[in-house]
Amino acid sequence: MSALVVGLGSPDRGDDAVGPAVARGVAALGLPGVRVLTHEDPTDLVELWTGAELAVVVDGVRSGAPAGTLHVVDAGVGTRGLAHPWTATAHGGTHAFGLATAVELARALDRLPPRLVVVGVEVAVLDHGAPLSGPVAHAVGPAVDAVADLVAPVRSAASEVPRVRR
Amino acid sequence: MTHKLSDGGQVLEVGTLARVEGEGGMHISFRDGRVEDVQLRIYEPPRFYEGFLRGRAWTEPPDITARICGICPVAYQFSSCLAIEDACGVTVPDAIRTVRRLLYCGEWIESHALHVFLLHAPDFLGYDGAIEMARDHPHVVEMGLRIKKAGNDLMTVVGGRSVHPVNVRVGGFYRMPTRVELHRLRPALARALDDAVATVSLVATFDVPDWEQPWTYLSLRPDHGYPIEGGRVVTSTGADWDVRDFPQHVTEVHVPHSTALHARLDGEDTPYVVGPLARYTLNHHRLSPLAKDVAHEAGLGSTCRNPFRSIVVRSVELVYALEEALRIVDAWADGVAPSVPVPARAGEGFGATEAPRGVLFHRYRLDDDGTILDAQIVPPTSQNQPSIEADLRVMAERWTVLSDDDLSHRCEHAIRNYDPCISCATHFLDLRVERS
Repeated sequence: MSALVVGLGSPDRGDDAVGPAVARGVAALGLPGVRVLTHEDPTDLVELWTGAELAVVVDGVRSGAPAGTLHVVDAGVGTRGLAHPWTATAHGGTHAFGLATAVELARALDRLPPRLVVVGVEVAVLDHGAPLSGPVAHAVGPAVDAVADLVAPVRSAASEVPRVRR
Repeated sequence: MTHKLSDGGQVLEVGTLARVEGEGGMHISFRDGRVEDVQLRIYEPPRFYEGFLRGRAWTEPPDITARICGICPVAYQFSSCLAIEDACGVTVPDAIRTVRRLLYCGEWIESHALHVFLLHAPDFLGYDGAIEMARDHPHVVEMGLRIKKAGNDLMTVVGGRSVHPVNVRVGGFYRMPTRVELHRLRPALARALDDAVATVSLVATFDVPDWEQPWTYLSLRPDHGYPIEGGRVVTSTGADWDVRDFPQHVTEVHVPHSTALHARLDGEDTPYVVGPLARYTLNHHRLSPLAKDVAHEAGLGSTCRNPFRSIVVRSVELVYALEEALRIVDAWADGVAPSVPVPARAGEGFGATEAPRGVLFHRYRLDDDGTILDAQIVPPTSQNQPSIEADLRVMAERWTVLSDDDLSHRCEHAIRNYDPCISCATHFLDLRVERS
């Protein structure tokens, strides 16, 4: 009975750091039963979320929406795949292997967690060494709240949730 | 998508080539059934790293140049460290060099596992990509992910992060890993070694075209062991020179169809090759007994000149890198100073290491206070661009009878033989074929 929150992105590439920033915000809440990680390589996700009832992955996206816009997409078992805005974001990650590819690879391997929610924050600036841009920095708080809301039912209903399928 | 040309020829827009890093295009024109021209058209905007290294401190290149690539940052870090240390007249102790080799093994493991399983294997097994392949071959993909994660975890423990490590500095490291930390990695590394041995057996069964490329091979060769974190430069023509002589032998030229420079060896127009095939062919005798055995069982001799068998050689190198990592982990003792001082002085320094896809050369010229006056970086893909084009010219000539779709797939496959890393930016590479 557990929830996993992964902040995906590079801490030194402007708004690409929004995933780790949101993860740090969630970790600061000290939510029991919620494991919080920051990570850069999407290929590890399939291992990282093994055993989790609910996985929430926070990442920057570029779909053309205003900077700071939140996208909350259910991408787990039974969904049809991680589509817009991640397809518009293209690869991401190293060597053309981004979040969308990692999710669909896990789906093909039957290694998705029972519930997977991807929280995307629309980015504006991806310069080396740049801080979060204003709109994205303002979106961190609402994104933390959104993640907290997502993991709350899992924590409160933990005793009623069946064991994770392996 | 096919377009008719006004002169009666054809332009085929094949769409996008995924599973290659960087932004560019491929142009192949045919006339009278013969290949007329082949161009790897890299149009990714220049990134000016060498320009903005000027004026920075001598301590900064490991962190700045690591950002050039997300899959081989360690190569950039250590080539820059060697060059700066050379300029400052410092040679790091063997213990620091050993930890560099360990971190570099992590990079080889994660990079080779990604390429072998997720980017290259689909070409041989007839899939559009790793996702499609995973549905039919889940155990193969799971094996690749396990190996890659072992490399990522090694990078995290030694480098501080699995991508763009932060623990590397000129003169060594900020912090040495402890024996306890390293030994926690052992079970995953040992399992990955078993997986890598199985990988060699698997990829040895893949069908490959029968062809041997005649190009000159170039790699490093250290005093001991297989080349990874340094060495002298050797070639298949018998040359053997110090890395300091690299600029005298390797020159870079602009070509109109690429924003990336093309490298030439000793002024020759014929291409030369860096990377796994060159390393293996020039250093087979340096492999471990196990790596030699699995290579032999896979049908490899002491040389390999078929670029389509690069997937076998990469897998043999996976075996070697995992063995090396385990050897270093098992022998590690705590108490080693993490770095040595590298005081600034005026001078010029040269460094080269073996990135997963080939020799990466750095040169820096420093002012007496350590300010960088001039920087030069020669990445492996710049050196391999002419040989990629030359391979395609030969292979496309054989494949003219194929349909446009089949021709496109074969050409993409031939490009991926090199695991090219056009940049760390995440873009597409379009393939364009003209027939007339």
